[in-house]
Amino acid sequence: MSHVTNRAMTRVKKRAMSRSARAARPLFVAGCVALWLVPLYLLVVNALTPATEYAGEPDWTVQGFALADNIETAWEKAGIGDSFEASLLYAVVCGLVAVLVAAMAAFAVVVLPIPRPAFWFWLIYSGTLFPLQIFLAPLFGLYADANLYDTRLGLMLVYVAWAVPFAFFLIRNQMTTVPPELTEAALIDGASFARIFWRIHLPLMRAGLGAAFIFQFTAVWNDLLLGITLSRSGDVQPVMAALTTLKASYVSSGPPVILAGALVVSVPTLVLFLVFRGLFLRGITASAR
Amino acid sequence: MTEIATPAPAPVKARRVRRRVPIRTPHQAARPSARLGGPLAALPWALPAFAFVGVLLVYPFCRSVYGSFFEDNGFNSSFTGIDNYTRLADDPIFGRSLLNTLMWVAGTLLLPVLLGLLIAVATHRMRFGGAARMVLVLPFAISPAATAVLWNFMLTSDGAVNQVLRGVGLDTWARAWLLEWPQNTLSLIVAGTWQATGLNVVLFAIGLRAIPRDTVEAAELDGATGWRMFRYITLPQLRAVTVVVVGMAVVNSLKAFDMIWILTQGGPSRSSETLALTMYRETFRLFHVGYGSAIALVLSVIVVASSWLYLRRQMPDTGWAKS
Repeated sequence: MSHVTNRAMTRVKKRAMSRSARAARPLFVAGCVALWLVPLYLLVVNALTPATEYAGEPDWTVQGFALADNIETAWEKAGIGDSFEASLLYAVVCGLVAVLVAAMAAFAVVVLPIPRPAFWFWLIYSGTLFPLQIFLAPLFGLYADANLYDTRLGLMLVYVAWAVPFAFFLIRNQMTTVPPELTEAALIDGASFARIFWRIHLPLMRAGLGAAFIFQFTAVWNDLLLGITLSRSGDVQPVMAALTTLKASYVSSGPPVILAGALVVSVPTLVLFLVFRGLFLRGITASAR
Repeated sequence: MTEIATPAPAPVKARRVRRRVPIRTPHQAARPSARLGGPLAALPWALPAFAFVGVLLVYPFCRSVYGSFFEDNGFNSSFTGIDNYTRLADDPIFGRSLLNTLMWVAGTLLLPVLLGLLIAVATHRMRFGGAARMVLVLPFAISPAATAVLWNFMLTSDGAVNQVLRGVGLDTWARAWLLEWPQNTLSLIVAGTWQATGLNVVLFAIGLRAIPRDTVEAAELDGATGWRMFRYITLPQLRAVTVVVVGMAVVNSLKAFDMIWILTQGGPSRSSETLALTMYRETFRLFHVGYGSAIALVLSVIVVASSWLYLRRQMPDTGWAKS
């Protein structure tokens, strides 16, 4: 505990602040932590219960180790497996493409002599301002006309478009910190724009690009609204839409299977979070600095 | 427009650079090399982004605004002017939906934001404070749909919440949380709190760590402790972070869809719908496409208006933000 807090503590004592007030702080934190852990605990415990032995009420103690069976049921029967693969494809490919496209646009707006950079900035950035609902109906019509409805390509296109604006925002903010002297020196040495982009800006911004990718991977992986609007069949639907379908059959498959499904679809983002915690939060916290 | 196009800090940088090299701002940096293609050389770099955003976001946006003036069932459409908007005024479902949306906004400010601030302050410089924050932010890494499935399990009539209430002898408190208004909306807000609070805690913690130690020490020398320290030192120093947290929380609560859709589908009898869900149901379930577009536009206006406060802060270096 730091020097300052110790002094603060002494002062608190001197002022005879009640002891209960000091005990209240850890108690409050512990209470919150417990409240937050209970649902997670129930999630794991009940996903472990064999589906046939579920008693109709949540279990509070471990009843068995049927997690693998439950996951298999959700994976095979409810088609989570197909959607899982589809979503993995969407999230990885669209995340990468969106980051590349956004980085190129940021390069054009920040480094290159594009006229009216602020206008272009707002044109691209406006994509993140509006709720998805404003795009949905015309997108549906557009997709029906172009035969893109219920195709993997269609979903991938819209995910890239949806991911570009915020990735652009993050990357642009970082690109403005690259000193323009670097570009000028490279130009004087005769490097082309492409070479400057690939050899100078991208390597310098590795962390920012990583943060943008993780953010967009998570966004695409978690998407439900675009998925249920623009797709229907099992091997095209993203995984959250499949989970919704599974939940709709609550009665027939039983809570353990559904919870096992929820657990499985959370694995990729959870792993990303635990491994790259700093980068994971960086995307979202970038706006707070 | 020329003023807008020039970023605000440019003059400062130009002054700094002018001492060494002929006048340059960052955007003009590459201009001398007209042999590389002049001002149009940048366009190919930005084109993919404009294509994606233009075709799949900007065009649908304009089409939505345009379509909101039509009576449209998905097959036939006829121009009806602002009828869709006047219909909103005396649609009881829209009224309920608006009320639910307001409850979401107020509830989000009251629970995830206020609780986030309290927890951040409580865990600041506390032993195991980092671990506590880690636990709280864990639900943020779980997708909203999975969270919704989990909370469905908690909140159904024979779910964990009622089980606990009956277990501790509060049988009268146990109820069908998701089947009656307003408790279904309130339960949904609590479920949303479980997911959203962690992020606010992290953001506030960043803000707390940024408070200069000198300020805190000076206040301590002047005898500030406890509540007075919080009220007159911590809170004012957190103002910038608070603007962002409040802005994001309000916008996210307005956009909330997954949780409500999975837990109640807006029901029963559309009682827990917010604007985001009303739009979806009107457009894709009832095929009132024009009416749905009008709701989407109302929602968009509310979202953009309420994000303006923190947007201004986010864009400190574009001309528009300053004006």
